[in-house]
Amino acid sequence: MNPILTFIVILIGFYGLATSNNIIKSVFSVTIIESGVILLFLNLGNLEGGAIPILNDQVSYIVDPLPQALMITTIVIGSTVTALALMLCIKIFHHYGTVEWKEVLGRKDVKS
Amino acid sequence: MSRKILLVAMFAVLFGVFATSMIELETLFNTYGKTYFLEHGYAETGASNLVTAILLDYRLFDSLFEAGILLIAVSGVIWISKHDVEEKNAKFMIDKYKTPDLFITFARLVYPLMLAFGFYVIINGHISPGGGFQGGAIVATAILILYYIDANKETNIGLIVTVEKILYLLIVLMASISIITQGAFFTNFFNPSADADLKAIYLVLLNVLIGFKVALGLWTIFTAFLKEGR
Repeated sequence: MNPILTFIVILIGFYGLATSNNIIKSVFSVTIIESGVILLFLNLGNLEGGAIPILNDQVSYIVDPLPQALMITTIVIGSTVTALALMLCIKIFHHYGTVEWKEVLGRKDVKS
Repeated sequence: MSRKILLVAMFAVLFGVFATSMIELETLFNTYGKTYFLEHGYAETGASNLVTAILLDYRLFDSLFEAGILLIAVSGVIWISKHDVEEKNAKFMIDKYKTPDLFITFARLVYPLMLAFGFYVIINGHISPGGGFQGGAIVATAILILYYIDANKETNIGLIVTVEKILYLLIVLMASISIITQGAFFTNFFNPSADADLKAIYLVLLNVLIGFKVALGLWTIFTAFLKEGR
């Protein structure tokens, strides 16, 4: 897959972040950006013709294991950040009764 | 309307910058690291899975803070969550009468298989695909099926989080043993010239600790969301 296609995925995430009115949709947009970044890094490892990076007797040409090891970190951190953000959404809904950005930010008792 | 035009223009500029940087990618990317891992990875770490070799030996410092971030996020979710940690007998969002009987029956059959597969992935993390983080996620999924079988299950979140903190301390201690035996931080505590099977002991121990820590962390997050949704 071309790296430029992965950047289109990242831009879709940016667009959703810039235009969505719902807080939960913003969280999903962050997740989409993260998926694009993961795809981009996995592309950097000479994918064509490479075997999986597990050594045995037949393997002589492998893909680069370093981006894969880094992306495990990204996936774990991304899932935890999503969980934290969704929990904050639940608290916002319990406190204000809405998850729309404009309604939450437009209230008089919120200092923006 | 002008805002959207501005947005599209900004995206076009970003896309142009990225596309021009990608042209030089072939010259920027080299294969020195890959060749080094291919030639020396098994001899130096004892792991034929090179991703595990990087995660648990070459870049163990990163993995430690990755596990630490998971612990911090779990603490944050519980702290933000409305209900107190001491509350044990919360009624969960899942209603037993809405869960189909077929699902409950098959969940009872599948549950031990999922648990065994999770342990397999954790223990064989150094020779096959998988490892602590992935196997921990599978074990956590197996545990979460129990909530569908028994909706009135009691969970003591405080105990789980305490065990998780102890496990994180154990991981840091296990990674720091090498300062006594090797004189260097965060590497295998056996000598690099030792036999590969001997060095695998360290990898299996660290994988098991990380796997249980991740499983407990994901279990805690799920329970916090269940309590919040009632």
